[in-house]
Amino acid sequence: MRASPAAAAAPEVQAEARAAAVQRGLQVHAPLHRASALRAAQSLRAIVRTQAQRLLRPDRLFGRAFENIILTLIIVSVASVILEEVHGLPEWAKRALHIEEIVVVCVFSFEYLLRLVAAEKIKAFVFSFQGVVDLIAIAPFYLAGVDARAVRALRLLRLLRVLKLQTHILENTVAARTRELADKNAALEQAQAQLKAELDIARALQIAILPATFPVKPGCDGAARMIPATTMGGDFYDFIELPDGRIGLVMADVSGKGVPAAFFMAVARTNLRDLAPQYLEPGACLAQTNAMLCAQNPMELFVTVFYCVFDTSTGTLRYANGGHNPPYVRRADGSVEALTGAGGLALGVMPGVNYPDHTVQLLPGDRLVLYTDGVTEAFNSADEPYGVERLLAEVKAHGDGGATALIERICRSVTVFADAAPQSDDITLTVLTWGAP
Amino acid sequence: MKVKFETLDRTTLVVPEGRLDFGAAAEFQKQIERAIAGEGATPAVLIIDCAALDYVSSAGLRVFLLAARAAQRAGIGFALCALQPAVREIFDLSGFSRIMTVHPDRSSALAHTPPGPV
Repeated sequence: MRASPAAAAAPEVQAEARAAAVQRGLQVHAPLHRASALRAAQSLRAIVRTQAQRLLRPDRLFGRAFENIILTLIIVSVASVILEEVHGLPEWAKRALHIEEIVVVCVFSFEYLLRLVAAEKIKAFVFSFQGVVDLIAIAPFYLAGVDARAVRALRLLRLLRVLKLQTHILENTVAARTRELADKNAALEQAQAQLKAELDIARALQIAILPATFPVKPGCDGAARMIPATTMGGDFYDFIELPDGRIGLVMADVSGKGVPAAFFMAVARTNLRDLAPQYLEPGACLAQTNAMLCAQNPMELFVTVFYCVFDTSTGTLRYANGGHNPPYVRRADGSVEALTGAGGLALGVMPGVNYPDHTVQLLPGDRLVLYTDGVTEAFNSADEPYGVERLLAEVKAHGDGGATALIERICRSVTVFADAAPQSDDITLTVLTWGAP
Repeated sequence: MKVKFETLDRTTLVVPEGRLDFGAAAEFQKQIERAIAGEGATPAVLIIDCAALDYVSSAGLRVFLLAARAAQRAGIGFALCALQPAVREIFDLSGFSRIMTVHPDRSSALAHTPPGPV
């Protein structure tokens, strides 16, 4: 359709169109040549520019020497401009000054050309402060012919070479500061990378000291999972095989985050693990651990600990609570109860705290769910917490399977809920399932 | 989190608003330290009014503990008041409500917090 108006047009119009086409045909070839010539010129200019930039680099021998020569010549030439004004100079001095002027202008012109070639944008350099000053420094010489002294105004204009001195000093200062800053930045980056590497190792160690598997006991299964927060946290869990055949289960959360919390976690976990075989009742074990922690707590941190001792042959669970979220027992019929027996203060706050012992009887098919507040206080992007209700719903709905399956269900539910919101706290869960002995 | 300060006679009221989590804890700790031993006259009583405090993490709890200790060292009367249910639960669970004086509202805190010997 596009071609039809041309086909229907008068013959003279068609002839004009042909002529135009022929012309276009010629033009098609011309730009091709021009384009390749332009490309060659551009690449040549790029090479020359790189060479010029290399010559001007102050961190290389030539650049530094050149810079010093220029500085010396500026001072000499300014001094000579002033000297010329002195009346009654001997003829030989005038001649010397004249030669000096030619040398200075030659070197300055060379410098100007070099900078022009080295500039990324020529126009920008010409109109920059330095570009203008450099031009003014040599322009009078060329404007007035070889003998600039003939024109008094132009001669005085040469005094503006003092400005050249300023641009050089300024440039050198800026370059030095930039170099200093770059060096400092590099050092900082290196230090940060090293710190990050060390923190990564610390975090890996922290996770590695947690038990990977539950002690093998007939009819009984346990699983645990910790999803560490972005900052190093202080959650921990533990399974301890006691000398009387029972198993100790620990769920704990150190206040705060970062390296101090991680250290305190390691100390708390070690103390509890060491004391558990000597103090078989959970309350006594927590009281002793608390005493130890209070004696070595310079940062005034504390840790909430739920500690229980489970008899895998009878299903009897003894527990004591040091300020931790009460765990849940999910019965085989799907009902859930919280272990809300009165507890004591979080550990590490003050010595001499009592932790009352409580007993709960597990029946075949029951599950024990221990968690830290990283689960219930996982926030979504709307700033709502995951909350106890959602956790209970998961426990009720999916508690029939194995320990690992339930943990996976809860973790997925929390992750889906939090969505893209950053995880601010460790998320830690332990599930114990008990069948018949 | 925002923190407001009010002064009534020789009582300093600290009013934190929002969520006191790990990120806010360090700054809140500094503000309380300044309220206890800052440039101004040392108060006789320090009350933290938690009516507008929506959430406290364990790092936040620690700041309350440090504040209570600092007040005790400085001989200043110290109490909390008007805890929201969610915050109250955290204080109860951790056992902190047993080692700190917690009043249901500001007026009872003002009426029943004995000034420390200054």
